[in-house]
Amino acid sequence: MTAPSRSPAMRLPALLLVAAALGPASLHGQSIYNSAGLGLPVESLDARTRSLGNVGIGLLGSRVLPSDPAAAALLGIPGAVLTAQPSWVELGRTDTGETGSYQGTRFPLVGISYPAWDFGMATFSFGSVLDQRYSGIRNATVDLEEGPVAVVDSFDVSGGISEVRLGLARPVGSAFQVGVSVGRYTGSTLRTLIRSLDGVSLTGTVSDFQEGGRWEYSGTSVTGGASMNVGQIARLAGSVTWSSELTAQADSEEQDDRTFDLPLELRVGASAMLAPGLLVNASLRRASWGGTGDDLRTGIARDVTAYGAGIELSRAQLLGRQAPIRVGYRSADLPFSLNGEPASETAWTGGIGLDLASTGPLVLAGLDLAVEWGERSEIGVVEDFWRGSLTLRVSGL
Amino acid sequence: MNRLPLVALAVLALATVACEETPPTSVDPDVLPPEPITVEAGLSWDEFGGGLQVFPGFGSASDLGSGVLAEDFEGVLDARTLGRFAAFPRTITVRDSTGGTRADSLPIFRAGRVGVVLDPEASTNQEPVTVTLGALSQVWDPASTTWERAVDTIGDARPWDEPGAGSARPLGEMVWDPAENDTVYFPVDSAQLAEWRDTTALDQGIVVGVETPGERIQVQRILLSLDVESTLDPDTVVSSTVTRRDLTFIYSPVPEPPPDGIRIGGTPSWRTVLQVRAPETLTGPPALCERVGCPVAVDPDQINYAALVFRTRAGPPAFQPTDTVNLDVRPVLAPEVLPKSPLGASLTGSVGRRVGPNLFAEGEGAEIEIPVTEFIQDQLRGETATGENAPVYVALLSTFEPLSIAFASFHGPGSELEPRLKIILTTGATVELP
Repeated sequence: MTAPSRSPAMRLPALLLVAAALGPASLHGQSIYNSAGLGLPVESLDARTRSLGNVGIGLLGSRVLPSDPAAAALLGIPGAVLTAQPSWVELGRTDTGETGSYQGTRFPLVGISYPAWDFGMATFSFGSVLDQRYSGIRNATVDLEEGPVAVVDSFDVSGGISEVRLGLARPVGSAFQVGVSVGRYTGSTLRTLIRSLDGVSLTGTVSDFQEGGRWEYSGTSVTGGASMNVGQIARLAGSVTWSSELTAQADSEEQDDRTFDLPLELRVGASAMLAPGLLVNASLRRASWGGTGDDLRTGIARDVTAYGAGIELSRAQLLGRQAPIRVGYRSADLPFSLNGEPASETAWTGGIGLDLASTGPLVLAGLDLAVEWGERSEIGVVEDFWRGSLTLRVSGL
Repeated sequence: MNRLPLVALAVLALATVACEETPPTSVDPDVLPPEPITVEAGLSWDEFGGGLQVFPGFGSASDLGSGVLAEDFEGVLDARTLGRFAAFPRTITVRDSTGGTRADSLPIFRAGRVGVVLDPEASTNQEPVTVTLGALSQVWDPASTTWERAVDTIGDARPWDEPGAGSARPLGEMVWDPAENDTVYFPVDSAQLAEWRDTTALDQGIVVGVETPGERIQVQRILLSLDVESTLDPDTVVSSTVTRRDLTFIYSPVPEPPPDGIRIGGTPSWRTVLQVRAPETLTGPPALCERVGCPVAVDPDQINYAALVFRTRAGPPAFQPTDTVNLDVRPVLAPEVLPKSPLGASLTGSVGRRVGPNLFAEGEGAEIEIPVTEFIQDQLRGETATGENAPVYVALLSTFEPLSIAFASFHGPGSELEPRLKIILTTGATVELP
């Protein structure tokens, strides 16, 4: 007699515990553009979407994807998804002459889907929106009685903005799907300036000067989307996200409470099987960040466009298992820049999928890996990066 | 097959944990808040100080564990060292005729030598001096004795027959050359030893003095070497050493309290108490006013450093330090019961602020900075880190009381070199969202 085996989905609670533990606290800085405006937009995408150069909509297949709320309509069974995203970055600036390298890991997407009786598929997701973590160093000189003395200003910003969404998706007829989600922006940022006078030669201990503040973010978003399947060979989808103002409430009366306009985002995308085992996709996103610039005290913001396209060879195999191979390219404007010039991010993408456990046509557990090689740049600034994405999918609870 | 998801989870965890986090760091000034301003402000005595009082009488010469000899030092100071020896050994161990050892409980103290160990480094003489030894025959109290009085306790004041224990019976004089050794020995006979052997007698002891005028000699310790004869074997003489039971010194004249200025140390020790008021606002320096406008309210978190700055002063020559002075500064916790107020924890650490002796002589006028950053910060907050009322008085004292007959002097209020309060503060920073 053997012990009853546990299905992969039985381990779902443990997986979600890991995800919850890693979630909001693990937003780590991965770009110098975190210091621009409200930070660097971080898309809640899974590894398959990234490896295909997609901007988050229109891929054939069902999944929990916050930017494509209708994509969960045909999931059918409960499931969960967790994405980890390490990246390695090299910075070179000709405007300030600085160079540097840094690395970090974030968890941009945690998602759960569960059938909601006859209403369709309910979804819950927790994902990144804006990454704000960075550090700044300034060497300065102060005049004391003993003469000019070198001091160091260190500025640390931690935290960022995340979003929790609850959604519902359902098929409409045999070819159409619709989905809607309501999101709540959350997160906080802690900004701390420390002036160290360690270089001052004095008899006793010199206290550092410290000034800072912490702000809690809040706001609401609503995303609606629809898609159309053409049999099993093509899918066309679109979505729109409306957001309320983002409120940043200061913990201390010494700091100002602030509000920021958030953009209206429009996305369209399509994918189609051109031949058995050959999937192509293209997608476009437009976000009206320009209005946010009016709320910034320093810097400007721009409306941005992102697009991407890619190919998936879905019949490839690895170790006797289905292992689709994916390549793509994507380009996205950045809403905030370092020196006021337009900034953008471009990347060549690639990746592979691996079905780890399946029952008939149903995949109980799978792993997707994406690798992106690209750069973020504006005049005087080039940031080369390698970014990995690793997504674990389980289903069948 | 069922293990694959766990493997995948492990891979996921490994991929994330294996990456060491190094956040992006920029030196671009545009990504930092506006630069704060750091300035140094100097407050005069009138702006921060007050209530200066000098208190004598902390500790006694017997606490010091050493002695002083002087004769007309700097034309003023006379000092003598007094002592008593501890109990003599009750038994000695000798070999008997069989070669074994036996305890002899009836030893005979035939003769001895009083050793006076001197400190060449802390003494002023470079040339030989004549040291004298006398035997006391008057009741005296090591904790309270002074130049004038053998006993000076509450309810019992007995003057010396002659001031300075001058009525002692002379036992001899020896020449001490600091270039050759650090100890002088005085031979004493068995009759004198019998007198000192009675440790219950209060009218015995020794007095050590110096005949050579113009020098101040530091006595490190005294000892008594005994030649002990055995009753079991009269041919056997063993040596034994007795340490001191009491050691103190008396001197004249006792310095008068300073009419102005600050005094720290000495024996018994002097302490100086003063009020230090943290500034609630600043009206300078000009760089600060240009940047943030004056008057500027001072926030405790803006204080990077605060220090009391004193200027050294040459005190009476007879009492000028000949060794490093360790200054201590402590908050006065109950100024209403001064001079007996309890003091708080040291603001200068366990060693204190070390000041070389030359700064109280030819190098007088030197600035001595004593950090009081936390004291000032607490006062601006209104309470200490433990939630108690922030003190406003500090006591200046010697880290070890008493340490030496010499004391440190500083210029006081009203002088051109009066104390001042130095403050380095940083302000003008505002951290906001972009």
